[in-house]
Amino acid sequence: MRLSKIWLNDFRSYDELELSLGDGLTAVLGPNGVGKTNLMEAIGLLATLKSFRGAPTESMIRRGADRAIVRAEGERDGREVLIELELAKGRTRVQVNRQKLARSRDLLGALRVTVFAPDDLSLVKDGPSVRREYLDDLIVALDPRADQLLSDFERVVRQRNALLKAAPQRVDEMTRSTLDVWDMQFASLGERVLEARYAVLTELMPLVVDSYERLSASAAVVVATYRPSWGDQSLAAALEDVRETDFRRRVSTLGPHRDDVVLGLNGLASRTEASQGEQRTLALGLRLAGHRLIADRIGDPPLLLLDDVLSELDPDRATALLATLPPGQTVISSASGLPPATVPEQILRYDGSTFQQDAAI
Amino acid sequence: MSAYAKPVEILIDELGRLPGIGPKSAQRIAFHLLKVDRVDAQRLADAITVMKDTVSFCDRCFNIAEGANCEICIDPKRDDSVICVVEEPKDIAAIEKTGAFRGRYHVLQGAINMLEGIGPEQLKIKELALRIAAEDISEVILCTNPNIEGETTAAFIATKILAPFQINVTRLASGLPVGGDLEYADELTLGRALEGRQAVR
Repeated sequence: MRLSKIWLNDFRSYDELELSLGDGLTAVLGPNGVGKTNLMEAIGLLATLKSFRGAPTESMIRRGADRAIVRAEGERDGREVLIELELAKGRTRVQVNRQKLARSRDLLGALRVTVFAPDDLSLVKDGPSVRREYLDDLIVALDPRADQLLSDFERVVRQRNALLKAAPQRVDEMTRSTLDVWDMQFASLGERVLEARYAVLTELMPLVVDSYERLSASAAVVVATYRPSWGDQSLAAALEDVRETDFRRRVSTLGPHRDDVVLGLNGLASRTEASQGEQRTLALGLRLAGHRLIADRIGDPPLLLLDDVLSELDPDRATALLATLPPGQTVISSASGLPPATVPEQILRYDGSTFQQDAAI
Repeated sequence: MSAYAKPVEILIDELGRLPGIGPKSAQRIAFHLLKVDRVDAQRLADAITVMKDTVSFCDRCFNIAEGANCEICIDPKRDDSVICVVEEPKDIAAIEKTGAFRGRYHVLQGAINMLEGIGPEQLKIKELALRIAAEDISEVILCTNPNIEGETTAAFIATKILAPFQINVTRLASGLPVGGDLEYADELTLGRALEGRQAVR
């Protein structure tokens, strides 16, 4: 889907705002603190119904207003689509082409976005949970049914942990046989989660290498290795081996909920040994790779939102990013302007009170 | 310091312990009861005590019963050889409405849910094992809910309780609602229905 127009009412700092997007690159320019990220957030909201900043609904409604409206017009397969969101305290109403959706989750998939924000450095720098979430989000984007699998597995982990916590000091027969049954569920769902993660990572890997090389304009050895939290045996066998440890520690010490994706760059562990610049480039490479995988598989490239990414890259990499953008729409925000060679189709510039379309284009 | 007179506080506290009733609702109901006629309030109080005095759970299947056994256990026309295992008495009502089942029931009074502190010992699973040992049963249908807790409970009963017995153990099929259109079915239900497809020739 291609977005052409966006209207905001009482959304965050905006009382009223109307914007047009280009078919390719749209740049949102203005100093810090004028609401560039708010604009990106509104576009993300149209796709996922969630703030990519993790903000609760209430905080997106302009102070003093009782609801916020985000409307967008676009086209898909040659047909016009109008998406309307009404955010009010405690509920979000969604309309597509003036038809109310019975379940707001029916909207998901109508518009897809990939977001890259400065926080994404955590993909490389932080602990394993961020990378698991990155893989799991991609799995669901490619196959929405997998959402149920992932939430079922998460629930089994919580149930198993609750059983381990409640187990008596000297573990009795009943606790053991109850654990047997949770282990069956844990192993069968866990193996499916594992399989889905391996599959998506295998498809992703060449795209990560390619995205990184394009950005750094050099050949690099980027390796992402899935590292399970147990050995070569089946998950069922591993759970059996670790049972006494789990009883002692009162928590599930292994399983897909403890796995990691280890990122290596030119033979070094990127989490601890890569420079800040390399880490940023790799994080961006991961996002772009996911974006391209979805575009390849779904056929329709998601809208790419690059929030304040240029200030974090050196001039060569910033230029390389904009020169090799994937096909489809991109919206980029910047406080410091664009690299000299870049010619966006649309520039939305802050004029001291609001965003105005550049007349020069 | 309490905001209301002591008896009102006590009532709000009691109401607040009921499932699905939070502090705000408890307060609203208490104030409503404060305003209604004494007769109406008395009728509610009586309904609760009469129910508690006369209705309890069936000794055999743990369904709701007026007396020692429930209507289904008393009914001589039902098939003694099949037991349908459900989580709650309300599940019996749902299955009875179908008219498709003529056997007996066993109510577990819940499902294994460690997050709520419910293990097999808190359910009527031991009683089910005793029934199967004592009664002449050829089939057990596990009709727990098709969610994680229900599936786990069914797996526990099948592998830990019923394994030693020479009986058929079946699980409720999951599939499409009758009279609906395929296009309105959610992906998960439709996927399961495909997996459980049946030969027509």
